[in-house]
Amino acid sequence: MCGIIGCVGRGDETLDTLVHGLSKLEYRGYDSAGVAMSGERLSLCKQSGKIDDLRDALSKTSLSGEVGIGHTRWSTHGPPTDANSHPHQDCGGDVAVVHNGIIENYQRLRDELVAAGHTFTSDTDTEVVPHLIEDALAAGADPEAAFREAIDQLEGSYAIAAIVAGTETIFAARHDSPLVLGLGEGTTYLASDVPAFRDFTDQVVYLADGEFARLDASGWEVTDSDGTAVQKDVDTIEWDPEETGKSGYDHYMMKEIHEQPRALRQCLRERVDEMAGTVDLDDLGDLSPTGVQFVACGTSYHAALYGAQLFREAGIPAQAFLASEYATSVPPIGDALVVGVTQSGETADTLSALRAAEKRGARTLVVTNTVGSTAARECDHAFYIRAGPEIGVAASKTFSSQLAALNLLVLGMTNSDEAREVINALRELPGDLQRVLDESRAEEVAQMYQDAGAYFFIGRGLQFPVALEGALKMKEITYKHAEGFAAGELKHGPLALVTSETPVFAVVIGDDEKARKTVGNVKEVEARDAPVVAITDGQTDVHRYADHVLEIPETHERAAAVLANAHLQLLSYHTAAKLGRNIDKPRNLAKSVTVE
Amino acid sequence: MDIDTAVVLAAGEGTRLRPLTRNRPKPMLPAGNRPILEHVFDALVEAGIEELVAVVGYKRDRVQNHFGPTYRDVPITYVTQHKQLGSGHALLQAREAVDDAVLVLNGDRLIDAETVSAVADTFAETGDPSLAVVERTETSRYGAVEMHGDHIENLVEKPRDGGYRLINAGVYAFSSDIFVEIEETPRKEGELALTDTLERLIDHDRVRGTEVDGMWVDATYPWDLLTVAREVLSRGRVVEAARSDGVWIADSARVHREAVLQGPVVVGQDCEVGPDAVIGPNTALGSNVTVRSNAVVQDSVIDADTRIDPGSTLVDTVTGQDVHLGASTVVPSGPADVQVGTRIFEEQRLGAVIADRARARGNVSFTPGSLVGPNARLGVGVTVRGNVAEGAEVTR
Repeated sequence: MCGIIGCVGRGDETLDTLVHGLSKLEYRGYDSAGVAMSGERLSLCKQSGKIDDLRDALSKTSLSGEVGIGHTRWSTHGPPTDANSHPHQDCGGDVAVVHNGIIENYQRLRDELVAAGHTFTSDTDTEVVPHLIEDALAAGADPEAAFREAIDQLEGSYAIAAIVAGTETIFAARHDSPLVLGLGEGTTYLASDVPAFRDFTDQVVYLADGEFARLDASGWEVTDSDGTAVQKDVDTIEWDPEETGKSGYDHYMMKEIHEQPRALRQCLRERVDEMAGTVDLDDLGDLSPTGVQFVACGTSYHAALYGAQLFREAGIPAQAFLASEYATSVPPIGDALVVGVTQSGETADTLSALRAAEKRGARTLVVTNTVGSTAARECDHAFYIRAGPEIGVAASKTFSSQLAALNLLVLGMTNSDEAREVINALRELPGDLQRVLDESRAEEVAQMYQDAGAYFFIGRGLQFPVALEGALKMKEITYKHAEGFAAGELKHGPLALVTSETPVFAVVIGDDEKARKTVGNVKEVEARDAPVVAITDGQTDVHRYADHVLEIPETHERAAAVLANAHLQLLSYHTAAKLGRNIDKPRNLAKSVTVE
Repeated sequence: MDIDTAVVLAAGEGTRLRPLTRNRPKPMLPAGNRPILEHVFDALVEAGIEELVAVVGYKRDRVQNHFGPTYRDVPITYVTQHKQLGSGHALLQAREAVDDAVLVLNGDRLIDAETVSAVADTFAETGDPSLAVVERTETSRYGAVEMHGDHIENLVEKPRDGGYRLINAGVYAFSSDIFVEIEETPRKEGELALTDTLERLIDHDRVRGTEVDGMWVDATYPWDLLTVAREVLSRGRVVEAARSDGVWIADSARVHREAVLQGPVVVGQDCEVGPDAVIGPNTALGSNVTVRSNAVVQDSVIDADTRIDPGSTLVDTVTGQDVHLGASTVVPSGPADVQVGTRIFEEQRLGAVIADRARARGNVSFTPGSLVGPNARLGVGVTVRGNVAEGAEVTR
């Protein structure tokens, strides 16, 4: 869960370009960072902490060179120390390597290298790579052959870039971890993700698994594992890198929460036709699944739970699985369509589950925010949520857009009596959500309960995933204990946790059996003296049992889930802000989890 | 143009535009179907400004959220004026974001690039504080100016008597000394107006005026948005694709082939217009507006997310965002007497002003000149007369 970058051909600005790129990749991990520059000798600087710590360290050293690589790290092997930061070097200091991913056979390789006399200075899996290259160089291989020889010995996932003293070249390879080239005028970049160089170019080339790249002053070449040149398509990135600025908000998360009405408009644009009562699913074709299995992690898993319920309501058997569980114990798939939900399209667990399904012959579809991502390229079909870049580590707008996109998917694939009603509600959703953002009293509620010992969230039916997501958001950014429960499940155990110190947030929508039963659960909680906050459209009398009400406009229960969730996002945000948490970069978490 | 930075003042609510400013400041109200501020930014970008500084305050997230970090590739820096203590105080907030000469503009008035350039050029030639002046027959709402040659000799805020011809257009060019000048200006009742600083400078005979004849449009009261829309449409200042003369329709909008669009009219992104609906002339639909079958919308400004159900008729009407008008809503135009606070504006051409998220169930009629507050609920068959307060429920 790291980010790598490389740059050739920017002359004196190479170092600044690398550091700038790393700052743009900081969302991928941020417990240490480093850069290495090549010339006759390599020069290197790395530092635990944030990119700013690296900047301070760089101001005290003199690095120069016109070819360089850099890395921002999130610990998987070994604590975040200077020694464990990338780039890593060989014994002689002539090779520097940055790596994203996990080398699974590193222990065996390391034992062999140590036995052969190599000295290791870190706890990382990555460090085997420079030593392997050093061995091959010592055996007489040229730098490119040495790099290939080293890569051939690796098992696991990696995007790797290496430089060797005396060569003005970057060697790179990928397997199961993202790597993309950026093509500027006379300059070539490589990175884990486009934002790293998007300020300089919009022309990109995505590397496929097993491919190698060589970048030097004369340009770039991609080759396959045999060394044969591969013709690559050059893609143009259309989104605006400046969307990554905070534009006056204190945190990206708040900016992204407020971007939701617009993100939803983009998701729905030209896909829904209210007059005709139809949904157009781009060019997905006729998938008409007889069953659906969702695979996803974290927030996306909550969206998947919601999506599975929509399919079931349409009469199609559907289940949501945690991708990490699915990948290692694949259930019988039959004819089911396997649908991955992943914001980044790079979530390793989800990719692994999708690959496991594909291996068994299943048709796969990904619902993602990232065009050109690994999932989008590997799956049979991709459906984009069009939320725009999300920088805050805790997902906000992408969850709302996932819910909207899943509605479109279900409407487009099934025949529903409710289609018109749902389409109508979806078109009203941006305006309704703006209303919640304008009028929410979540900040007052956050103020009231910022010192609570724990937070519980309950909901039924489509509001159950909302309860889970509300709790996850609270955990992620406030570091407080929070749990989401199916409302009816409370009395089967969790009620024992409920006290006057634990506010319970109940999502109560509509006035049907589900809503009335949830009101019953609210009464159980109230009887234990727990403070109750109802998130409701006011159709039941839940306000009589609640200490506070967060109101949403009346709409279809599917759209209501998005609106109720917006209050809970604001609740977590304001609680975290009052507690002084690092909202955009919570401890121990990274945006795009590219390791399993 | 030597100046590359512009500070745009967008922190004030614009209370005379109530009830439309309930959820956003005046610069974010629609000129046609885009915010007024977007037109101001257009003029600046077209004049070659490379850095925008927006002073925001009242409901600032609406501004920040709409524009984000850039507008037409020009970066925007946001500075917050936490308390609205006058235009001079607002400009002072931008001090840290500015390091050289600047243009200063009000974010709530439509201007064009020529006006911006003219003021910048005068400043470049003289190095003196410069401002644009425009000729108006009616000067009593504005700051009138008296000039001798290109020197401003006097500034009279909202003159009671006639005899003035020129007004301050609210487009200025200053060196960075302006911040010191503002600081040295004594506050009046805690407030710091930019014009007070200007008056001090005028006393030292240092302020230049540049008379311009470009677009200069201001909305003082809610119904002025109708005139503003006409002006914007007549000048073709819209971003949607032109389908025919005076008819602009966003690519993502769905307009039924049996609908009639009478130019000038603009239909924004994601709109749906049903069969036999008649839209226009002089009408702007914001994004995601729905006009259903057989509805007639004429000489009106309909803001984003608003729904107009079948068989409704709206004339000379301004709606806020997310207004729902049920089937057979009728808003005829009139010359009407409109009451704002304790003042009566006689003989205004106005159907109705219906603020954000008001809901009219079916068959609601409005007498001309009605003002409906945000979140008001109008029951089936109600006749609205005069003013309806925010959140009020009206039943028959």
